[in-house]
Amino acid sequence: MDMTTWEPGDAVDEGLSALRVHDASAERVERIRARCMGVLAQRHEKAERRARPLAGGTGWLEPALAFSLGALYLAEAVARALAVYACR
Amino acid sequence: MDREIELRLVARLKAGDPAALEAIYEAYRPRLFAFLVRLSRRRDVAEDLLEETWLRLVTRAGTLIDDARLAPWLFAVARNLYFSWRRSRAVDDRRTSDLDPAWPAPERGDSPFEAVARAELERRVEAALARLPLRDREVLLLVGVEGLTPSEAAGVCGLPPVTVRARLHRAREKLAVEMGVDRGVPRARAG
Repeated sequence: MDMTTWEPGDAVDEGLSALRVHDASAERVERIRARCMGVLAQRHEKAERRARPLAGGTGWLEPALAFSLGALYLAEAVARALAVYACR
Repeated sequence: MDREIELRLVARLKAGDPAALEAIYEAYRPRLFAFLVRLSRRRDVAEDLLEETWLRLVTRAGTLIDDARLAPWLFAVARNLYFSWRRSRAVDDRRTSDLDPAWPAPERGDSPFEAVARAELERRVEAALARLPLRDREVLLLVGVEGLTPSEAAGVCGLPPVTVRARLHRAREKLAVEMGVDRGVPRARAG
């Protein structure tokens, strides 16, 4: 027996289909909407803040500075090593 | 809701689109509220649980799988919140079987005769549903009222589909008895 097939015209189905969809109070509907939109906006703000340093502004400065100083240090080390080698 | 539209809404919600949330909210809010109020038999509790359900959706939107089905997801959250609430309050079914008298509200647009006939049928069904054991009532609401498939309802309730089908069959029989109907023909209840 298929227990999921409901005969058309069945009084139980008829009764269930007579049940109306109801809603929460207008105040609560609005309050839930506002809270959900607030959470969504916060999420968006957080994601933007995380993405901002990479997107532009001065975000490029820190790695460029670190790279430059590293290169200067390496060049100085090589120059001194060569100077020591040349003296011998 | 059309599956293509649903998939697009899920993708947009995951990306944080407020318009997608608004569309989902409008489509599912009344159904979720009706489900919760018929489970709990209390409007105030249903409203609190409804709010918590939607907050769960927005806070967890980023973790939704791309092909998520919204109805089973939302009904599962709402149902689990209701059972948690019951556990926390040690709710006794015998004390909650009477529906809030403010439910259902009269519908505008019906003629007086239609309104009375409809309200009477609705009252009988609501009363019969309220007398069903909670486990039977929830599957009947999910499949018979909300239109979920028995497999989806099984996912919502955390049960094997075969158990849900058996429960559904039993719930329909019990509801027919409670409504006082026999072989599809409405029968007047004594008293």
